[in-house]
Amino acid sequence: MPAEVHVTIRDETDIVTARQRGRELAAIHGFSKTEQTFIATAISEVARNIVAYARRGEIVLATSQDQGRPCIVVVARDEGPGIQDVEVAMRDGYSTSKGLGMGLGGAKRLMDAFDLISAVGKGTTVTMKKCVR
Amino acid sequence: MSVPVLRLGDVLIASIQAALTDRDLLQLRDDLSDQVGRFRARGVIVDVTALDVLDSSAIRTVRDLAHTTRLRGARTVVVGIQPEVAFAMVQLGLTLEGVATALDLDEGLALLRQEDA
Amino acid sequence: MADTTFAGTDLPRRAEIEIDEQEVNRRKQFLEFRADDAEALKSLEPIAEQYADPVIEDLYRHFLSFDETGGFFRDPKVLERVKRLQREYFVRLTEGDYGADYVRNRLGIGTVHERIDLAPKWYLGAYSFYLRAVATRLLEAFGKEPQKAFSAFLSLMKLVFLDIGLAVETYIAARDRTMRKQQEAIRELSTPVLQIRDRLLLLPIIGVIDTHRARLITESLLRSIRANRARVVVMDVTGVATVDSKVAQHILQAVAAARLMGASVIVTGLSSNVAQSLVALGIDLGTLNTAGDLQGGIEDAERILGYRVVRAAETGRGPQLAERR
Ligand SMILES: Nc1ncnc2c1ncn2[C@@H]1O[C@H](COP(=O)(O)OP(=O)(O)O)[C@@H](O)[C@H]1O
Ligand SMILES: [Mg+2]
Repeated sequence: MPAEVHVTIRDETDIVTARQRGRELAAIHGFSKTEQTFIATAISEVARNIVAYARRGEIVLATSQDQGRPCIVVVARDEGPGIQDVEVAMRDGYSTSKGLGMGLGGAKRLMDAFDLISAVGKGTTVTMKKCVR
Repeated sequence: MSVPVLRLGDVLIASIQAALTDRDLLQLRDDLSDQVGRFRARGVIVDVTALDVLDSSAIRTVRDLAHTTRLRGARTVVVGIQPEVAFAMVQLGLTLEGVATALDLDEGLALLRQEDA
Repeated sequence: MADTTFAGTDLPRRAEIEIDEQEVNRRKQFLEFRADDAEALKSLEPIAEQYADPVIEDLYRHFLSFDETGGFFRDPKVLERVKRLQREYFVRLTEGDYGADYVRNRLGIGTVHERIDLAPKWYLGAYSFYLRAVATRLLEAFGKEPQKAFSAFLSLMKLVFLDIGLAVETYIAARDRTMRKQQEAIRELSTPVLQIRDRLLLLPIIGVIDTHRARLITESLLRSIRANRARVVVMDVTGVATVDSKVAQHILQAVAAARLMGASVIVTGLSSNVAQSLVALGIDLGTLNTAGDLQGGIEDAERILGYRVVRAAETGRGPQLAERR
C-alpha cells in the first residue's frame, strides 16, 4: 500500500478514477459503506471543480491516524485561476458556471474537516479529512 | 458511452449503467426528449441503480432530465437511488425536490400505472 | 485512578440504597441484635478508643502485604486519610446508636469501597481480619474475665454482620446500576426498524439524538427501506428526549433521504409545543407529513398503501384490515 495515491485530473474520466481510488482506500481502512460513499462524493466534487475551473490539477489521497482512528486526507490542488472570495464561493447556491453551487459546501458537510486556500492567478488547494467513527 | 433506452409499452426506461460523463448525460437527455415525442411515451423511468456516487453535477443532470421529459408530456420517475447515495445527496443538500422517486424499476412502473388509473 | 477517587473522598458519599428504620429493625431481629448488645458495645467505647490505633495499624500492615489490596494505599497521603476514616468507622462501632443514621454511614462506606473497585473478596476478607484483631485485644483488655470478653465479642460480631450485609448490598446495587446504564446505552444505540405490515415500517426513536446517532438511525432506516421494499415509514418521535432545531434537521434529512428511495415518511409524536418552537426557529416543517399520534400515523400509512379499516359489523368478525386493490 503506497503511502499516498496521486491522481492527475484532466478530464471527466479522471474524476471517476479519483473517487474510486478514494473509495478503495476508505474501504481498506475500515470506513463504513456510507462513509466510503461520502468520501467518494466529496472527492468527485473537488475533482470536478478542477476540471471545470482549472482544466487540470491533481488529487492526492493519504491516510493518517487521529487518536487511534484511521483517517483519510484528500488534497485537491490546481494552478488554475483561483477564487477571489473564498467565503462567497463556499456559500450554498453560489456558482459562476450556472452550476448548483453546492459542491464546496456539500463536500464540507460530507467530510469531518475542510479547508480551502486560493490565490487569484495562482491556484486553489482544498484539503479535506474524514476519520472512522 | 451512450445509454440504451428501452421501450415498454408507453414507458421509456433508461438504465444508467456506469458513471457517465456530462456529455453522455446530455446525450441521454436529448435522446429521451426525442423519443418521448416519437413514441408518445406517457412515462419515463431513469434507473440509477448502478451508480455508487451521484455528485452535484450528476444530480443536476438527472433533475434536468426529469424536468425535460416532463415538459415533453411524460411522467418521469427516478428509481434505484442506493441508500448510501441517498444519504450523501441529503448531505449535499440536493434532494431532487419536485421529481418523483421510487425504490426500483418495478416500483417505478407501479407508480406510473397508479398515476394512469 | 483508584487512589485519586479515594483521596478525593473526604466523607463517605451518599449511598444510593435507602433503608428505613423498620427494615433496620427487621435485620437486627434476625441477627438477634438486642438492646443489651447495643449497651454492651457502648460500654466498650473506652477500650475502642484505646485500641483503635494499634488495630488499624495491624489492618493496614495486612493490606499492604498483599498486592491486590496494598495497591490502593501506596500513596502516603491516601493511606493517612483512609486510616483516619477507618478509625472513625472503628469507634463508631461502640457509639451505641445503631439506627438509620448508622446504616446510612455504613452504606456510604461500602459505596466508597465499591467506587475504588476493591473487590468484595478483599473487603470481606478484611472483616475477618478485623474481627480476629479485635478479639485478641478484647481478651487482652478483659484480662481475667475472658467470659465477658467473649460475650462482648458476640455482640460485636452481630453488628459487624449487619455491616457486612449492607456492604454486600452496595456492591450489588452498583452492579445493577452498571447494568442499567449499559442497557440504556444499548437501547440508545440500537433503534429497531420494525416491519408492521407489507411495505410499512415503524421506526420508534427513543432517547437522546446526537449527530452520530442520527446518522446511525438514518443509515439503518435507509437500509431497511430497501430490504423490506417499504413504501411508507411511520417515524415515532414521542420518546425523543428533546426535539430542538438540530434534532429537527436530522429528522428532516432522514425524511428527505427516505423519499429519494421512494418511501414517504409520516412523523408522529411531535408535540404542538415542539412544532411551534421549531417554526419559530425558522425550521420549515411544511414539507413534513405528520400525524398526531402513532395510531393516527399508522392509519394514514395504511390509507396511503391502499388498506382500509373494515368495521366488525361489516364482516361479522372482529376488526380487521382488507386490501383495497
Ligand atoms: N478549483 C477551483 N478553481 C477556481 N474556482 C473554483 C474552484 N472550485 C470552485 N470554484 C469556484 O467556486 C464556485 C462554487 O463551487 P461549487 O460549490 O463546487 O459549485 P459549482 O461548481 O456548482 O459552481 C464555483 O462556481 C467557482 O466559481
Ligand atoms: Mg462544483
